[in-house]
Amino acid sequence: MTARQTAVAAGADLKWIVNSAALLGRRLRYDRQQAKWWGLVWLLTGQLGLSLKAAAALTTVALRGRSSSSQVTAATDPSGSASVVVNLERYESIFLANLSRALVHETPRRRGRPARRGTNGGSLANAERYGIDLDLIRSAIRRTPAERLALLETNAAFVRDMRRATV
Amino acid sequence: MSFASMLNGLTKKKVKFVVVGGVAAAAHGSSRVTNDLDICYDAEAVANIGALASVLAGWKAYPRGIEAGLTRSFIMDDRTLRNAPILTLTTSEGDIDVMDRIAGVGPYDAVRRHSEKVSALGVRFRVLDLPSLIKAKRAAGRPRAFDHLPELEALLALRRS
Repeated sequence: MTARQTAVAAGADLKWIVNSAALLGRRLRYDRQQAKWWGLVWLLTGQLGLSLKAAAALTTVALRGRSSSSQVTAATDPSGSASVVVNLERYESIFLANLSRALVHETPRRRGRPARRGTNGGSLANAERYGIDLDLIRSAIRRTPAERLALLETNAAFVRDMRRATV
Repeated sequence: MSFASMLNGLTKKKVKFVVVGGVAAAAHGSSRVTNDLDICYDAEAVANIGALASVLAGWKAYPRGIEAGLTRSFIMDDRTLRNAPILTLTTSEGDIDVMDRIAGVGPYDAVRRHSEKVSALGVRFRVLDLPSLIKAKRAAGRPRAFDHLPELEALLALRRS
């Protein structure tokens, strides 16, 4: 995972993660487990107003065990009057949603200078230089939206079948 | 498993949404084949969030790219929708991405203002218009989105000529 993917999976700001890791003296790694840990620290500090140190300690306790219960009491005061309870099932659902978004959408950026998009001759010349078949586009424009989407449905089903056959 | 069944399911449950992304591009004439339906939904209406969550739960939605059974069961409900503004899901009906706003265009209200009605696949629904789709692809800043721009810009130029 990249740094940005880790931040998206955690639902947290990347700069905040980097700065918090420095404050906690914690070695920064970019992977799923760390993203999950930082995500809960981010929630406890941002939503409940806990200090960074306290949130980090509570998160470690909450995510430590493989509790069969969906709710984990991360801390209780000595009198037992107040507790911090983490709903692991709920947190994991939101974390998985963010992790999926990070893996699907936040693909690593291309390195180097972006390819220059020529402006000479306008969009059509630029598309041709890019390898786009303009005749294909012209024929698509002649179809109705219903015809275009029916064709997409057929082509998408074909691609799905091909993928299934090769897996 | 098809776009038709997903669009049908959403409209039957009266979910307020606009189709964006690859399917919208195909409606405008793009020849790219996409495998997922991208929608922007009205996140201001509580009833709409509930309706969408109920449809997705009925389709056994699960985050895409995550091994099933990796963790406790995924809860697909309105709270998950409210807390995850972009969901990339795989479902029994196909892959779907649901978003509460579109980069470069705005939240649902703005997306709807920049959309047009389409009747296709036996359903009547709204798709993001071509100029806004181009704006959204530019704003997304992802390599795949940039790769799509020359075709979309050529489509716009040909439609205007």
